[in-house]
Amino acid sequence: MILTLFWAFPIIGALFTLFAPAFNARARWISLICAVMELYLVLQAGTGFWSGHLASLSEPGKFLTYGISYSFSMDGLSWALCLLNAFLTVIALLSSWKQDLSAGFWASFLFLEGAVMGVFLAQDLFFFYIFWEAMLIPMFFIIGLWGSENRKHAAIKFFLFTFFGSLFLLLGILALVVFHHQTTGVWSWDMNILRAPNHGLYAILAFAAFVVGFGVKIPLVPIHTWLPDAHTEAPAAGSIILAGVLLKVGVYGFLRVLLPAFPDWGMKALPWLGGLAAINVIYGALSAMAQMDLKRLIAYSSIAHLGFCVLGIASRTAQGLAGGSLQLINHGLTTGALFLMVGFLYERTHKRGLADFGDLVSQAPLLTFFFGVTVFASIGLPGLNGFVGEFMSLSGMAKVSLPIAVVGVFGVTIAAFYLLPAFQAVFLGERKPASVSPKVFDLDLREQALLWLLIIPMFVIGLHPGPLLNIVGPAIGKLIL
Amino acid sequence: MTALLLRIAPLGSGISLFGGVLGVACVGLFKKINVGLVRVLGLLSLALAAVFVFAHPATGSISTLLQADAITKAWCAVFYVGALPFLIAGTWEDEVAVLLLLGSLLGMTFLAFSANLLMLFISLELLSLPVYLLVALTPAKGKPSWEAAIKYFFAGSLSAAFFLLGLACHYSATGGFLFAGNGSFLDQVAFSLMAIAALFKIGAVPWHFWLPDVYEASEPMLSGFLSTSVKAAGVFLLMRLGQYSQGSFISLLPAIGALTMLVAAFAALNQTRLQRLLAYSSLGHAGVLVLGVGAWLLLGANEKNALPIFFYLFSYVFMSNGAFFFLELTGVSEWKDLRGLGKTRPVLAFCFAALALSLAGIPPTAGFLAKFLIFWQAFKAGLYVPLIAASFATLAALVYYLRIVREMYLEEGVSTSKIAAGTGAVSLIVSLSAAYSAIVGFLPWILSAFQRVLG
Repeated sequence: MILTLFWAFPIIGALFTLFAPAFNARARWISLICAVMELYLVLQAGTGFWSGHLASLSEPGKFLTYGISYSFSMDGLSWALCLLNAFLTVIALLSSWKQDLSAGFWASFLFLEGAVMGVFLAQDLFFFYIFWEAMLIPMFFIIGLWGSENRKHAAIKFFLFTFFGSLFLLLGILALVVFHHQTTGVWSWDMNILRAPNHGLYAILAFAAFVVGFGVKIPLVPIHTWLPDAHTEAPAAGSIILAGVLLKVGVYGFLRVLLPAFPDWGMKALPWLGGLAAINVIYGALSAMAQMDLKRLIAYSSIAHLGFCVLGIASRTAQGLAGGSLQLINHGLTTGALFLMVGFLYERTHKRGLADFGDLVSQAPLLTFFFGVTVFASIGLPGLNGFVGEFMSLSGMAKVSLPIAVVGVFGVTIAAFYLLPAFQAVFLGERKPASVSPKVFDLDLREQALLWLLIIPMFVIGLHPGPLLNIVGPAIGKLIL
Repeated sequence: MTALLLRIAPLGSGISLFGGVLGVACVGLFKKINVGLVRVLGLLSLALAAVFVFAHPATGSISTLLQADAITKAWCAVFYVGALPFLIAGTWEDEVAVLLLLGSLLGMTFLAFSANLLMLFISLELLSLPVYLLVALTPAKGKPSWEAAIKYFFAGSLSAAFFLLGLACHYSATGGFLFAGNGSFLDQVAFSLMAIAALFKIGAVPWHFWLPDVYEASEPMLSGFLSTSVKAAGVFLLMRLGQYSQGSFISLLPAIGALTMLVAAFAALNQTRLQRLLAYSSLGHAGVLVLGVGAWLLLGANEKNALPIFFYLFSYVFMSNGAFFFLELTGVSEWKDLRGLGKTRPVLAFCFAALALSLAGIPPTAGFLAKFLIFWQAFKAGLYVPLIAASFATLAALVYYLRIVREMYLEEGVSTSKIAAGTGAVSLIVSLSAAYSAIVGFLPWILSAFQRVLG
C-alpha cells in the first residue's frame, strides 16, 4: 500500500490544488506541503536501505487481465532516484516561490512527481509505460505555459519527439511480451521475468526499439534535438526537474528493462552503446563550448554528463554500473543547482546570455561562491561528487574498452573548457556598463538555503560515497557480467 | 414463473421501450406538452429495458427470431449509455425527439437480440429511420434542417439496398434466413454485400462520404448520439455477420480499418470548423473499431475476446459525447474561439483537453487503454502491416488533437464564447465524460468488470 501511496499521493494533491476552490487560492502552500510530506514518506521508507538490512520493498502484485498485474517494488536504486525526485520537486517549488503563478503551475509539478515515482516503482511494463507517458503532459504545460519567448515551439517539439520515442518503447515492450508468450504460453508484463531471444533479427529490432525509446529521454545524440530547446524555454523550476529527474528515467530504463531483458544480446551490443555514449560526451561538450546562452550551455552539458552515465552502464562492470548510477544522482544535484542559479539571475535581470554579465562577484559574492562550487562539481574536481561518478564510470569502461574510455577522458577535459570560461565571463570578467548589465542583488535567505541544500550533498557524496554506493549496490549487482 | 419471465426478457426490454414510445406519444396528445415528463418517461423506459436485458442469463437461442449472448448484453449497455446524454440534456419543445430516440433504441435492442438475418434487417431499418428524422429535426445552428437528413437517408437507403441484395443472395444460396452460411461462392458474396451495409453504417472508407456532412449539420448533442450508439449498432452488425460468414470479406477488414484511420487523420488536418473536425475524429475511431473487429474475427470471434471492442466502444461513448457536448455548451465553432479558454474558463478547458488527449489515445487516459487493447489484439492476430499504418495515423492525428490543447492554453487571445444559462445538465455530462477519460486510464483493473459482462 505504501508504494501505491508514493505515486498516488502527489497526484491526489495535484487534483486538490487544481479543483478544490479553497485550496486553489493557496495553491503554492498546498503543493509545497504535499511535496514535503512526500519527501518525508520517501525518506522514512528508506531507513531499511540505509541500515543495509533491506534489499527491496515490494507489494504483492495484483493480477488484472491480459497478463497485466499491478505490482510495485522498490530497491536501493529506485529509492535513491525517488528520493532525488522528491527532493528536487521541493527545491523546484521553492525556487519559484516569489513568482506570481497560477494554481496549474504548482499542480503540474505534483502531478509530474507522482508520474515519475510510478516509473521508478512499477514492476509491470504496462504500468511502467503508462507512467512514462503520464510524465509528458504536465511537462508539456510547464514548458508551453510558463516558459520564455519561444515556448510554444519548444513545447510542441518536446511532446512530438518524446511521443515518437514512446511509440518505439511500446513496440519494444510488445515484442518482449509476445516472445514470452510464444516460448512459455503465458502472458506476462513483469519486467523481472521477460527476456528477449538470444539472437536473430527479432532481437536486434526489439533492442533497437528500446534504445530509441529510452534514448530520446536520455537523450542520445542523434535524437537529442528537443532537449536544448526544451531546457532553454522552460521556466527555471521546469528545467530543474527536466534535467534533474526526467533525463534519469531513460537511463533507469536501460538499467531496469533493457539490460536484464537482453542478457546475451546486451553483451554484443555493449560496445555500440559505449560508442554512442562516447559520442554523446564529446558532442555535448563541443556543442556546449559554442553556446552564448547560459541555459543552453548547461543543457548541452547535460547531454555530455548523461553520456558518462551510459558509458559506465555500458561497461557492465561493477565500477561502471555503480559509477553510472551515482552519476545519475550527481547530475541531478549539480545541474539542478546550476539551473536554479541561472533562474535566480534571470528572475533579477531577465537576461541569461554570457555577454550580458560581468564581474558579478563584486555585486553578488554569495551567488559567485555557490556557482563556483557547482561548476567545479560539474567538471569533476576531486572531493566533489562529479569526480567519483565520472572516475568510476571511466575506470569501468577502461576495463572493457580502453579507446572508448580515453575518448571519455577527453570529454572530462573539455568540460573544463566550457564551464570555466563561462564562469569567468559571467562572474569574474570585466564589469559591463549598467545599460547592458543591470545591478544584481545577492541571494536572500530562501535562495541561500536552497543552494546549501543542494551543495552539502555534493560534498558528502564527493568525500564519502560509500553509503550511497551500498544502497544502489544490490540493485545493480545482478547486471554485472 | 421466473423462468418464463426470464425467457421473455428480451421481449420485455422491447416492450418497455415500446411502452415508453406510447407513453411519450400520449403526453404529446395534450395541448400543453410537459417536456420534463417526457424526459422522465424516456429515462424510465430505458431503465426498465436495461433491467430486462441484464436480468436475462446469457444463453443461446430464445426463439427462431431471437437469441441472446454476452455480446448482446454488452452492446445493449453501449446503446443505452450512448443515448443517455442526449436524453438527459437535449433541448426540445415537444415530445417528438424522445419518441424517435426511443424508437431507434428499440431497433437497436432487437438488433442485438436478432437470431435471423431477416430480423437483423428489420431492426436495422427500425433503428435507422428515426435517426434520419432526428437529424432533420435538430439541425446545428445556421444549417438547413433537411440537407444532411436527405444525404443521410440516401446513404442509409443505399446501405439497405446492399443488405437486401446480400440477403437475396444468401436466401438463394442456403434457402433460408438463418445466420449460418454454407460457404458457397454465392453465400460469400452475400455476406460481403451485407458487410458493406454494416461498413456504410459505421462510416468506413470508402463508404464514409456522408459522415462528416451529417455530423457537422446536426446539433452537436445529436452528433454525440450518432457517433456512439448508432455507430455501435453498425459495429455489432459487422461482428454478427463476421461471426457466421466463412472467410471472404474478413481478411479485408483490417486493411479497411487502417485506411479509414489514415484518411480520417489526413482529412482532419485541414479542417477549420471544430464540429467537422470531431466528425473526422469519429471517422478515425471508426477505423480503429473496424481494425479491432477484423482482429477479433481472425482470432476466432469468441465472446470473451470481444473485450477490446466493447471497452473501446464504451469509452468512446464518453469521449465522443463529452467532446460534442462541449461544443454545444460553449458554442465554439472555430479554432480561434478556443483561444485563451485555458485562462478564462480553466475547468472547462481542462475537461476538453482531457477529452482531446483521450481521443488521441495518449496515456494515461481511457482512450489510450482502449486503443491499446485493440492494437494488442491486432498484434496477436499478426496484423503487422495494418498496425504500422494505424500507428502512423495515430501519430498524424495527434497533430490536430494537440492543436486543440495548444489553442486553448498556449495561444494568446480571449475566447468570446458565452455559456448559455440553464445548461447544467450539459456541463455535468461534459465534466463526467472528462472525468471518465482522465481517470480510467489509471485504473486498468476496471477491465475485469467489463470482462465479467462478457462472461
